[in-house]
Amino acid sequence: MSTTASRTRWSGVAGSAAATITRYGFVAVFALLLVFFSLASDAFLRPSNLLNVLDGVAILLLVALALTVVVSSGGIDLSAAVAVDFGAWFAIVSMMSFGMPWPAAVLLGLLGGALIGALNAFLIVGLGVTPFLATLGTFFIGRSAQQIGTNGGASVSFRAAPEGFTLLGSGDVLGLGIPVIIAAVAAVGVGILLHRTPSGVRIQAMGLQDRAAVVAGLRTRRIRVLVYVGAGVLCAAGGILLSASLRLYTPLAGFSYLLDAIAAVFIGASMHPRSRPNVPGTVVGVLFLGVLANGLDLLGLDFNVKAAVQGVVLLVALALAYTVAQRARAAAERRPATRVDTIATGAPPTGGITPGGGA
Amino acid sequence: MSALALERPALAPRVRSLLARRGPLLVVLAMTVYLAATAKGFLGAANVTASLTQAAPVALVAMGLAIVVIGGGDDVVVGGIDLSIPATAALATAIVSDQLTTYGTPFAVAFALGILVTTLLGLLNAVLVGWVGLSSILATLAVYVAVVGITRVVSGNRRIDVSDPLVVAVRDTRVAGIPLAAVLMLVVAAVLVLVMAGTPYGRRLQAVGGNRDAATFAGIPAQRYIMSTFVIAGVVAGLSSLLLVARGSGSSPGIDERLMVDMVLATFLGAAFTRRGTVTVFGSVLGALFVALLSNGLILSRVANAWVDGFKGVLILLVVAAAAARTNEETRA
Repeated sequence: MSTTASRTRWSGVAGSAAATITRYGFVAVFALLLVFFSLASDAFLRPSNLLNVLDGVAILLLVALALTVVVSSGGIDLSAAVAVDFGAWFAIVSMMSFGMPWPAAVLLGLLGGALIGALNAFLIVGLGVTPFLATLGTFFIGRSAQQIGTNGGASVSFRAAPEGFTLLGSGDVLGLGIPVIIAAVAAVGVGILLHRTPSGVRIQAMGLQDRAAVVAGLRTRRIRVLVYVGAGVLCAAGGILLSASLRLYTPLAGFSYLLDAIAAVFIGASMHPRSRPNVPGTVVGVLFLGVLANGLDLLGLDFNVKAAVQGVVLLVALALAYTVAQRARAAAERRPATRVDTIATGAPPTGGITPGGGA
Repeated sequence: MSALALERPALAPRVRSLLARRGPLLVVLAMTVYLAATAKGFLGAANVTASLTQAAPVALVAMGLAIVVIGGGDDVVVGGIDLSIPATAALATAIVSDQLTTYGTPFAVAFALGILVTTLLGLLNAVLVGWVGLSSILATLAVYVAVVGITRVVSGNRRIDVSDPLVVAVRDTRVAGIPLAAVLMLVVAAVLVLVMAGTPYGRRLQAVGGNRDAATFAGIPAQRYIMSTFVIAGVVAGLSSLLLVARGSGSSPGIDERLMVDMVLATFLGAAFTRRGTVTVFGSVLGALFVALLSNGLILSRVANAWVDGFKGVLILLVVAAAAARTNEETRA
């Protein structure tokens, strides 16, 4: 188990220049973007603005962390969007309609997310439906449930939310927003779980070689159930923070996080030597998206133009980072085999490498 | 006691295996019977043609996605997928509508422009995946985000009405009672099915999707085959914009989101109808038809709007779960 653990760590191929550049190519592009925004706008580097960026990405980070774990396990969760909604919905309604104290409401909100995760787990583990379709089905059902529950999708506003609850969304400790702190703690927690514990190794093993994991004696069914339920809870936490900061539940608001979260996870995977999702990479991806949105706002772009520029910059950044990484990898392959290469080829097939990847 | 014990294992597995093997079809049949009984005019000509027209653009983009999935393999992370198709189709729809109304461009030129744009975007996907080395989900997702933004700039995020007589003609023309949209869908489906099943290109592409390493060792330039699928998807997205403009009498903001959900649904649901549970071109057409019939049937049987999505989700999961049960049954046997 310990050798597997060390291989799943980035340090497994560290030392080769290719790996370093793969790892930092995107970070370099990100740094260029930061330099550009700080030159283009005086306000960008002000501490208050940087805190704004962090506030803006806290919820996205929670959703992206959930997806990092799910994608690591070889699945996908399209229902993350409705898990966010359910967190917000359950929390707001339990306070408004049932007069519950806010800590209980928060717990119920998390339970709402767990419910979505449990439905996914039932479909995927119990019935053997592929994750793509199972979570898409859950997405439909969750969306419909919200429309039925809110009479066709009207927002539920709760202006008189208890102070403790609103503090969750808009309070701060030494200037750092509470959502940011919660998201950061979650990132560290999920990072340790996924990259430093036996459970994390098991999740990743499942994602790389499901059959092999079963043969090796892993209880993949149980792990998978926990992965989807946990992902639902993380997303719901994001939804609760969203409702706490707005004192409002808007049905179907979670959808806007889904595509960004998927993008962040795969940006992160792009920085991994074997293209696996990983928590540090996801954090960089989320920050990149947050900085991009914030910087373009500061430039005062029109809403529609901003959306276009945002997408184009994301594309160019990815293309740049990948081209550089490819060149480096090709250059490394031309050199005579080093000790590191021998270890890499001696490793079991990882599934992350495709023959076209190095071409 | 002993007779019972003998009989039970003999009968139960047979029933179970029959249910499992024909499961997806049985669910569809049961649904059709139910809707035919409760929804007035469900099997009427008006509803069937309406469903066909509605399904046609979805079927086109779903076929494009199917080709990409066939060539790239169906692994979510490292396999082939093209999420940008709905966005490029929406962009072409906006460009065509804009050209026809604002600039008075002739019909043929406007559509040629639309198809050119989607083909170039398909080429961009191909380059990003094949040469730059992005995973296809990341590349096409990034293209999706960029193209949705560009669409907003082109359309000003407003609805563009089109009253071009030729567009109206495309919408209203019927060939032997079948709407022109459905005819186009069937023609494209026939061409793609023939290409996939009857040409060396199609067979090699399937080999690449089945096992890229083996295909490469057999001398197939796998990367080039995979790149070609994105270009095909781009062309098909352009074709679907013709139907989208006709169906919606112009372009409206947000069609990409609906198209995305329906496309993914049609393609992967289509896999449930095929014998081996794999994504196919023909399966995608069936999937698109199933989704359209279901939506229309639910509306006809006066199911409240808010419930339609939920019913759709449950029924789709039933079909998919039945297909999964079938796969499990086959693995056991």
